Amino acid sequence: MATLLLALAAAVAAWGGEQAAKRHARVIVFAAASLTDCLKEIAGRYEQSTGDQIILNLAASSTLAMQVRAGARADIFFSADEARMQALEDEGLLAKGTRRSRLSNTLVIVVAAEGGAEVSSPGDLAGPRIKRLALADPRAVPAGVYAREYLERVKLWPAIRPKVVPMENVRAALAAVGGGDVDAGIVYKTDAAISRRVRIAWEAPRQEGPRISYPTALLADAPQPQAGRRFLDHLGSEPAAAVFRKFGFVVLDGSVP
Amino acid sequence: MQDRLLASFVKRFDGAAVIEARGLELGAAPEVTVLFGPSGCGKTTVLRCLAGLQQPDSGTIRLGDELWFDSAGGYILPPRKRRVGFVPQDYALFPHLSVEENIGYGLHGLPAAESRARVAEAMRWLGLEGLARRWPAALSGGQQQRVALARALVTRPRLLLLDEPLSALDAPARVRVRNELRAMLRRMSIPTLLVTHDRADALTLGDTLWVMHRGKLLQRGPAPEVFSRPVDTDAAAIVGTETVQPGRLVRVTDGLATVAVGPATLTALAVDLEGAAEAVYVCIRAEEVILVKGPVVPTSARNCLAGSVRSLAAEGAMVRVHLDCGFPLAALMTRQACEEMSLGQGDAVSALIKAPHIHLVQR
Amino acid sequence: MRAEDWQLLWFSARMAALGTCLMLPIGLGLAWCLARPRWRGKAVVETLVSLPLVLPPVVTGLLLLRLFSRRGPLGHWLYQGLGWEVVFTWRAVVLALAVMSLPLFVRAARAALEEVNPLFEQLARTLGAGEWRVLLTITLPLARRGILAGTMLAFGRALGEFGATMVVAGNIPGQTTTLPVAIYSSIELGLDSRAWALAGLSAGLAFLAIWASERLARRPRA
Repeated sequence: MATLLLALAAAVAAWGGEQAAKRHARVIVFAAASLTDCLKEIAGRYEQSTGDQIILNLAASSTLAMQVRAGARADIFFSADEARMQALEDEGLLAKGTRRSRLSNTLVIVVAAEGGAEVSSPGDLAGPRIKRLALADPRAVPAGVYAREYLERVKLWPAIRPKVVPMENVRAALAAVGGGDVDAGIVYKTDAAISRRVRIAWEAPRQEGPRISYPTALLADAPQPQAGRRFLDHLGSEPAAAVFRKFGFVVLDGSVP
Repeated sequence: MQDRLLASFVKRFDGAAVIEARGLELGAAPEVTVLFGPSGCGKTTVLRCLAGLQQPDSGTIRLGDELWFDSAGGYILPPRKRRVGFVPQDYALFPHLSVEENIGYGLHGLPAAESRARVAEAMRWLGLEGLARRWPAALSGGQQQRVALARALVTRPRLLLLDEPLSALDAPARVRVRNELRAMLRRMSIPTLLVTHDRADALTLGDTLWVMHRGKLLQRGPAPEVFSRPVDTDAAAIVGTETVQPGRLVRVTDGLATVAVGPATLTALAVDLEGAAEAVYVCIRAEEVILVKGPVVPTSARNCLAGSVRSLAAEGAMVRVHLDCGFPLAALMTRQACEEMSLGQGDAVSALIKAPHIHLVQR
Repeated sequence: MRAEDWQLLWFSARMAALGTCLMLPIGLGLAWCLARPRWRGKAVVETLVSLPLVLPPVVTGLLLLRLFSRRGPLGHWLYQGLGWEVVFTWRAVVLALAVMSLPLFVRAARAALEEVNPLFEQLARTLGAGEWRVLLTITLPLARRGILAGTMLAFGRALGEFGATMVVAGNIPGQTTTLPVAIYSSIELGLDSRAWALAGLSAGLAFLAIWASERLARRPRA
């Protein structure tokens, strides 16, 4: 009788251990805020099919980069611009050969869906109707940096700069426009699609707009490099690409910049 | 036209304590009324109700033609409209104001010149010159009391209320200030109610006494009467077992005072007397009167009074003997002694009292 | 310390001072009411006043955002009636600072008012003073040390306020960026040395404010 119980216990332990080993991989992904919705969907499906657990830390890429530099544990960095990724590469924090450009996006000007200001071009932003403009912090957050670079290029930045209300990240800028306390904002097209409280007043044409690129990379100190690589591969797969496209991102061919 | 205070009210506290001031009436100025009773009997509450700082549960309070409180009509006049001069027990001088600012506090609505004049006048009257800029903390007890008085008087109140005016003073100052206060109160012409638990204060300062015990007014009358004829045992317990009689100071020599009480002459120690005091109360504790029947031999007692027994009253193991020695005198002895001496009404006796056992209080 | 750091400091101090000024009359009124014995709803008011102390500051910021946004109940009225915009302007900074420093002040002021011997107030009434005069000439002067200590405390708290300010006023350099927000920004941007320098400044100011408050609150040797 005792032997039977022992055997049973061993079997249960083995089975539990195997399950644990299967689910054991926790992949920590630091990703730009604009990727919130699409990554949640992709990660959810991935977890169901593979048993790995994906932990998403979504914030402004500049914030995430700062956290990584300060020693935060993460497996993957999915940035909204190459500059933040480059900063990490320069400090040797990336696993060699894992950096790839994944997605692109379009900048748009948004105003409140109800009663929003009349804007039909970036030039209108410099006009008197627009008193306050929400941007993700143009000093560091990619969305804001892209917007500033574009506005500098079309020589509107000096006129617009005093009206800028810098926000934590691009979603915060979106919320500010939706809330009605700023007159307009510049966000990604993918963000504008999420919110019903804003409408797109102008879209940057692909040729004239800034070159937006979302790179991914495995971090050098990744706690789960195997599982991390698996997820990175998945991000490049067709099912994931379909989700990205669904949310409005432009899927790049994955070449190294 | 004198304002008379008439009050009759009841104040209840949680815990079933009840203060009843029924038929309280103040004599016309310059008569001073004293509310006399032990600590905690409710005297301060009566004062605070009269001042408007506490609201009685039922009854009326009226000063002259002004109605201050009427529970039946639901009417109460707030304290700032009552023009009452209130002097609390610890004087409560405003610590953040100087002496002259304290005194002038109640003169808010007056033009500055008149206000200054009145303050100066009050300070002169109460001997506070030179203290105008001082802070209350730098004053002696007696000075603080005078400042508190000045503050109350300068507004020309219609009623003056004093709560234990001397209890905050130490013994030597107390006697001196008590006499000063008596003189001041006599000079003013304001109906005054004074509250105290000290017998000497009551005797010196009060013309009419109200005896209060456990929230009730027991007796009213002139001081000697209240002290020598308490209306019941409660009152007797409060006023004590003293004979209190008015007397006249004849002379003081070698620390001994000769006092005429009625036709009799007493020798007492001349303590606690000031200068030109003439009118005094003579207080003799009944326990300290020794009776002798028959011929008297010289004893160390300075006072030997011939008298007769008017009545005897048993009080438990003791007997109170009321004598007539030219003035009413009470003696207290054991029943055993009384029986051994076979004392009876009409008997001739001599009363022996030592000089230190005769207490003099200025009137 | 660069010129813009001095600007930052001056801006933060100005905002903290304005916030404290805005808060003072309301705080004093609340402290006075709460120092009265027993009245209906006292416990509710006590709790509400203490809320900003206990709630996460961002929550308080969120509530303020909701109320004072151009579309919110109060913000709409202010915008339509006075032309005032609150959210993302210096007004929001003052508002956030006032709200966050209120509970500390009320606590200190209430304690000071409760310590005033009621006999003084009653005596003043017998001397003909109306309620306002009693308050201004007796109650407040006697409680002034505690009230001043509370004010210093509130000012110190306002200087250090961060969470609510970020949410309702944002981080607009030169317009709504206070010292604590600037420190956070510096960290975000990876400007560590600047962050430390500003942090040192902030700590120094906080130390001064608390020290002044403690000195005032201590009883004078009498």
